[in-house]
Order: sequence, then C-alpha cells, then structure tokens
Amino acid sequence: MAMSTGGGAGVTATPNVTPMIDVMLVLLIIFMVVTPQLLAGFNADPPKAINLKDHPEDADNDHVLGIDKDGHYYLDKKLTADEAVGPLLNQIYSTPGRDVFVLYLRADGKLPYSKVQDAMDLAMKNKVHMVGLVSEQTPGTTSTVKGDIVETPGIKK
Amino acid sequence: MSAGGSDKGLENEPNVTPMIDVLLVLLIIFMAALPTMRKAIDVQLPDPNPSVQPANQKSDQIILSVNPGGKYLINTEENTLATLPERLKAIYTGRPDKIIFVKGDPTVKYADIIAAMDIARGAGVLVIGVPPKDLPAAKK
Repeated sequence: MAMSTGGGAGVTATPNVTPMIDVMLVLLIIFMVVTPQLLAGFNADPPKAINLKDHPEDADNDHVLGIDKDGHYYLDKKLTADEAVGPLLNQIYSTPGRDVFVLYLRADGKLPYSKVQDAMDLAMKNKVHMVGLVSEQTPGTTSTVKGDIVETPGIKK
Repeated sequence: MSAGGSDKGLENEPNVTPMIDVLLVLLIIFMAALPTMRKAIDVQLPDPNPSVQPANQKSDQIILSVNPGGKYLINTEENTLATLPERLKAIYTGRPDKIIFVKGDPTVKYADIIAAMDIARGAGVLVIGVPPKDLPAAKK
C-alpha cells in the first residue's frame, strides 16, 4: 500500500480558516456586548478646552448628569424627566457616609448657558458641592496647569 | 513511504494557535477599553442656604462676566477673548487668592463659558466659582 503523491483526493489548497473564524466570532460577541453600553445614553458633544483636570473614573462614587442637544437630562446615562432629577440627586448625595460630593456634568457645547445654570442650580440645591464640567481635550494640547495630569491612568489608590 | 512510519511519529500536542489568537484579541480589546480618564473643569457651587447674605462682600474678588457678542467683563473692565489671557495673567500673578467667579449670561453658548474658564485656569486660577442662579447675571 504505497501512497502515491498526486493521486486520489489530491492536495487540498484551501487555507485553514478556522482560527480566523474563531477570532471573528469572539470580536462579534464582544461588540454585541459592548455596543449597547457605548451607545446608551445620549447625543452630546462636550465643549473643547485645553486646561482640563484629569479625573480617574470611579464607578462607585461618580455620577454623571448629561444634557443632550435638545436639553434632555440623562442621569447616569438614563433618560430622566426634568422634575425627577432633583429628588434623585438628593437621594444619591444624602446617603449616609457619602464623602464625595462631586457631580459630573456632561453637556453639549452648543446649549445656551441657561440650561447648564439650571442643572447647576438643581445640583446645588440637592447637596452637590462641586460640579465637574466634562470637556474634551483640544487635540494636540495638554493642560498647562500643574497637577492636572494624573500619571498612572487606570490605577486607583 | 509506508503508512504509520516511525520517522517522526504522530504529533500528539493540541493545536494552540487559535486559542492564542483569541486571547490576543481579548487582550487588545481590554487594553483599549481600560484607560478611561474623565477630563473636566471643577466648579464650586454656591452655598444653597447662606445664613446671612454676605453684606461685607470682599471688594477684591474677581468676577468674570461672559456677555453675548464675545464681551468679557473682568469686574467692570471690558475685555475681548484675545486680551483676556494676558489680563488675567497680569491680575493673578502675585495675587494670593486664586479664586474667580464666572458669571455667564443665560443666552451665551455653554462652550463660550468653558472657554472663559479654560483661559482662567491657564492664567493661574485654582478655584472657579459660580454665583447663585437667582442673582441675575446682570450688568451692574
């Protein structure tokens, strides 16, 4: 039973696509999981600025109030009715033992300032002491203020 | 060539290449997803119930008013976006309390207010405050 080259079924020249399909499937699954979180929330284009302070994200204590192009409020990415924002903030920031009183405000840059003033007023009346106005770094710039840039991103103390 | 020849023997190790591919992709995705850093300008909010309306308002505090039409008032002194950085730098160099109050006209675009705060921070301001909303963002 000698095997002869070039006989019978011949040499299969098809590339092995199994690893590629594996990778593609994993990518597909990951994007299926991640996309709803990325798209969740709202359509706001924060203003651009240069001297911005880095705030490492702290999922347990951070709360973000978003205001989209049409002036709708999104508290922690969930659409929230205007009159419900105040009580919810109050509930969050009056939790006993809470020692972080910062609210991040992510508003569209084209909004009139009155909308942002309203939000800050709401925050002020509901135990928020400080507001972080979320902005985007103008491309190609870094903050000129000392201490703004946190050296080790992603590492929490 | 005989079948089952003992030249190299049967390779018995599992093929790990697909697994490594998948793991590398996972690694890259988590590397891209992790470093989330929020960039923001911190603003101090006013006291919601001031016990006494501060009658003795310190006369040396600096209020930057942003008015429509690109007019920036430092207290009562008119400035434009172009002259603002220089002027603020001159004021805050050698001034011990680096506090500014930014008072925006409600009709001004939010991005312009941020631009003003940005310039103030660049000029050495450390604390930015906003006046309570009820006080009209008025011209004196």
